[in-house]
Amino acid sequence: MNVDIVCVGFGPAMGGFLTTLSRQLVKEDGTPLVESAATPGLPPQVICYERADDIGFGVSGVVTPARSIKTSFPQLDPAQIPLAAPVKHEKIAYLLDPVGASRRSASLRIADALIRAGRWALPYEHNALNLPWVPPFLRKHDGLVLSLGQFMQWVGAQVMGSGTVQVWPSMPVASPLFEDGKVAGVRLADQGTDRKGQPADGFMAGMDIRAALTVIGDGPVGPVGRQLDEKFGLPAGHHQHDWAVGMKFVVDLPPHADLEPGTVFHTFGYPEPEIFGFMYVHPGRIASLGIFVPSWFDNPVRTAYRYLQHWMLHPYLWRHLKGGTLRSWGAKSLQESGRGGEPHLAGDGYVRIGEGSGSTNLLTGSGIDEAWATGSLLAEGVIELLQAGQPFTRENLEQAYVRRRRESWVEKEGRIAEKARDGFQRGVVTGLLGMGLTGLSGGRLHLPGKPLPPHRRVPSVEAYYRGRIPPDEIARLRAECTAKGTGLHSALMDRVGWPTIPFDGKLLVSHQDALLTGGKVQAPAGYADHVVFIDEGACARCGTKICIDACSGQAITPGPNGVPAFDREKCIHCGACLWNCSQPHPTDPGRTNVEFRAGAGGLHSAEN
Amino acid sequence: MPTSYHIVVCGSIVPDPLQTLEPVTTPTGPALKNELLLPAVLDPWAGHALFEAAHLAKQHPGSKVWLVSIGPKAKLQQVMMTVAQKVPFELIAIDGPAGGFTESAEIAAALAEAIQGLPGLDKSRLLVFGGWESATRGAGTTLQMVGERLGIVDQFQGVDQLTVRPDGSFQVLERIEGGRHQVSSCGALPALCGWATGNLPEPPNNPQVGMLNMRTVMPALQRAKPTKISNEGVTFPSVSLPKQRRETKIVKDMPPDDIAREIVEWIGKE
Amino acid sequence: METILFLAHTESDGSLGQAALESLAAARTLAAGLTGSTLIAGLVGGSVQSAADQIAGCGATRILGVAAADFASSRYSTDVVAVEALARAAAATIVIAPATSRWNRVLAGAAQRLDGRIDAHATGITAADGKPGLTRWYYRQRMEAVVQRTRRPWFILLEAGCAAAWNGPAGTAAVESVAAPLTDANRRTIVTGVQAPPTDQQTIRPDAKLLFVAGAGWTKAQPDGKAHSVEAEEIILDFLGKTKASLGSTKSLVDLSGEGQAVLKFMTHLNQVGQTGSTPRHPKGLATCCHGEEPHTVGWRFINERRAINLNPNCSWAQGKADVLYVADAFVVMRKVNALLAAK
Repeated sequence: MNVDIVCVGFGPAMGGFLTTLSRQLVKEDGTPLVESAATPGLPPQVICYERADDIGFGVSGVVTPARSIKTSFPQLDPAQIPLAAPVKHEKIAYLLDPVGASRRSASLRIADALIRAGRWALPYEHNALNLPWVPPFLRKHDGLVLSLGQFMQWVGAQVMGSGTVQVWPSMPVASPLFEDGKVAGVRLADQGTDRKGQPADGFMAGMDIRAALTVIGDGPVGPVGRQLDEKFGLPAGHHQHDWAVGMKFVVDLPPHADLEPGTVFHTFGYPEPEIFGFMYVHPGRIASLGIFVPSWFDNPVRTAYRYLQHWMLHPYLWRHLKGGTLRSWGAKSLQESGRGGEPHLAGDGYVRIGEGSGSTNLLTGSGIDEAWATGSLLAEGVIELLQAGQPFTRENLEQAYVRRRRESWVEKEGRIAEKARDGFQRGVVTGLLGMGLTGLSGGRLHLPGKPLPPHRRVPSVEAYYRGRIPPDEIARLRAECTAKGTGLHSALMDRVGWPTIPFDGKLLVSHQDALLTGGKVQAPAGYADHVVFIDEGACARCGTKICIDACSGQAITPGPNGVPAFDREKCIHCGACLWNCSQPHPTDPGRTNVEFRAGAGGLHSAEN
Repeated sequence: MPTSYHIVVCGSIVPDPLQTLEPVTTPTGPALKNELLLPAVLDPWAGHALFEAAHLAKQHPGSKVWLVSIGPKAKLQQVMMTVAQKVPFELIAIDGPAGGFTESAEIAAALAEAIQGLPGLDKSRLLVFGGWESATRGAGTTLQMVGERLGIVDQFQGVDQLTVRPDGSFQVLERIEGGRHQVSSCGALPALCGWATGNLPEPPNNPQVGMLNMRTVMPALQRAKPTKISNEGVTFPSVSLPKQRRETKIVKDMPPDDIAREIVEWIGKE
Repeated sequence: METILFLAHTESDGSLGQAALESLAAARTLAAGLTGSTLIAGLVGGSVQSAADQIAGCGATRILGVAAADFASSRYSTDVVAVEALARAAAATIVIAPATSRWNRVLAGAAQRLDGRIDAHATGITAADGKPGLTRWYYRQRMEAVVQRTRRPWFILLEAGCAAAWNGPAGTAAVESVAAPLTDANRRTIVTGVQAPPTDQQTIRPDAKLLFVAGAGWTKAQPDGKAHSVEAEEIILDFLGKTKASLGSTKSLVDLSGEGQAVLKFMTHLNQVGQTGSTPRHPKGLATCCHGEEPHTVGWRFINERRAINLNPNCSWAQGKADVLYVADAFVVMRKVNALLAAK
């Protein structure tokens, strides 16, 4: 099938692109801006394919300065978008450890003791220290608290209502079409296959969608963007070693909660010092809350779900949450290399936008605003080229898009932030100091650190728990968990003193219930498994099996012969397995032993 | 009997079946809490009806399939982006409520009026399809009234199979009690089928079908006429979630032999 | 003042079934609760005399009948004429009928003919403050509403099992025959029979004491890393054969067939219990290898005693949905259950 522009992934970057583009494809008198080359007589044919089963599924909730969004919608009325609210109050809190199981360094323990000793004189409440002020670089005032799912559904309705672009959900894109070093479109995923991808009942080979321009906004773990990186490499000196998984709940707050819509909390220090938390209050007594587990958290049992529950139970937060009910749940990988992980932004026939193009700002922790801006900038460039009748060559796209991006605030601020988090490679305290230094010096100073790919960082379970759990006990726990088909993390966390989660069936629910009632996770039949373990021998030899513990959806479990089993009906496409894997790819040391391919299904909630 | 059909599928949108639903009272009657937040899908049984319609139309060249759908325009637009990739059809959109507390007689009137107004519709070739119940009102009462308004007396509900015979007559299997099917044959059109699950798998998403359908879907949505459903004469003194919470005894660490014995004993108890 | 028409069709043996007698009881209770109301019975069938005799003592002021060979079987085109004729002859303001597949098919069409309104899946009919009302499900049994209407005639399809069946004395009833004129156009549909799976493959048994529900877990990899679908089939069929239980399934299990996965071959969509499946009525239910999520368990509304076997102690069955949750491997337990049943 031939179209003029094919787009991959309907996230905020694509929202920015299609919003800006769709307004200009048809002139006020109803005639096309230019004639479509693919379908003469019509305006340019613009198609966007989205993997998730509907638009706005599975994207994460945010607080955003929303500068670029407000530029696209100057009359934006948050009341028109469900769950949107202007930012009202911002707080940052350092959470102390109320249960004594957190793995804190000696320096942190001393700091905690000092805080506790001086708590009468400090802004201390409920085992937490409120920071007296929010550094300017972290402030989101004048911004918006959004459910990105609801926002994207609203954007989708706007752009499709224009009649000039089409957004097709539930259609994974398998790969770019490479021709003579150019990208000539995309190939959609095969349907009607068995789990291994072999044709089965109702087989339909993935269609080739040929286009003069392919716009890739499939996010940090998107298979199309990643295949481009594998083919063309990253620019010299760039790396994509830093990641985080963000896991969140959307919660109906209890009746006693008196938090005003637009209230924003950020936390650090607990349940482990490396884990950051957030809570954003929406209208209607609803809150989005969750944690980020970064790749430099050198723990081989990174189970975001259990940590999230311990975080919620911290007295500082639980006072607001107790009695609440889970509405929705989800998780997502964040590409945390930012500007330093930027791939080639344009080539012959293709461009990159959004988070996968390195637009996230590491200092301000802002990504949506930047992603939207990159899409809008691209649209301006594309309109310019269409009007000039110029082909979408690398040179033209460099001039029309990359130049605009380099001159934009996204680039300027991204440059300042580029090394802001390097200090975290050496520890959480160094990292926080480094961020402060970079933020307060406007990017002139930073604390250095050498980012490593996660598979070179992750210690063995035995090494991590040295002094806390003897190796023979770990071996016994591992054998027991494998026999039961469960991950190891819960057993280890129980063992080192994390309390049992008091399930209440409402907010504190089992991981399975979060999948079923919060995430409503499902996968349509007839697609191949999209998580593939490349060298099964390496999996069999792997001692950490971190993919099992890190899997946000419990979709990866112990399997036969030591090779993990993947159940795509539980996968929420967070992509954490891709970068958490502790084994290198057999031929490419920059990658891991997990391949994350195009797949259908995932979360069925648009509240995240 | 004709060799090709005009198949009109009535089907609306419903909250994605996995969503958590909670009722609220509004000035216009009961509604779902945060209805706007809930993702919507094509009503599952109406979906089966649509796939069966497309299958029948494909087997009988010259046939045509319409999908007549009442729902809030923005939600219809969104759901159509998924449905339109499945099978070819022409959309007739009616801008109105899609919730469960709407009156089936009024919905039937709006659907029948839309069907009567279809340009070029040939009643001697007409098959009206739909789901035998919606997943919203869940009553199974709308289609019969549509059929009556269109003068169709050959009606079938809970249909799992429709087979056209060589002479043009067709055989219908309808679900009845006890997991059985009633078998009927019918030699004339128009006829109406409220579908249960049918036997067809969900068709794959076909981008070409999507592009083709888009030529009518967006214009149909743009000219969707608003319809008012007044729910005249109905009041709902209460709407609630069933409270059936039980005290669950969780039996851990009991040997399988003992569990088996307990279960056998329980089964045997009167 | 309401005129309440209790509407019933005969079973193949000419009698009235259990569901009809339950609706009769509900109609009588309503009539008793609405001062000055009248109860009339309307019967449809090949012959209705023996059915009328069966309810001769029910207190109906009139027993109307539409009887002829054309009305012996369940067919929309003739049933709609019969129901319309009975409702008109009775001048009914409220029509109460059991929610059988026959009445479910036709009653809404008859309501349309009389410019009336209809509610289906009613679970209770009440008279409060002299006003009739009903309870019924919305959103596939996920919400329950009390509904009142001012519009008449009001047709109500009452679900089975929601009222105690009337069991008053039989007698000899005088049936007023009501004309329901048919034309050839009403006879174009010919009912040719009933199709049912052979007895040995029949897994849906509405009268069974036990509902056995199999979830997708039966087809998933077991601790040895492999799926054991053939063994699962053997265990389940063995159990069904020994207990004559009715077999239910989760949506995820019946949907797996499209996945190219090993599935249980005897499962069809007809077995599916839950929001998009059936809501069967059995005194007991045993769920195995399914998680107990809400869309599935809405199909368990009318299962009185519920037990579940699941490896996950935190599964949804534990959240107030089952009476007993056994945390165990269903393969192991059910094999032993079968052995115990065999030894009996």
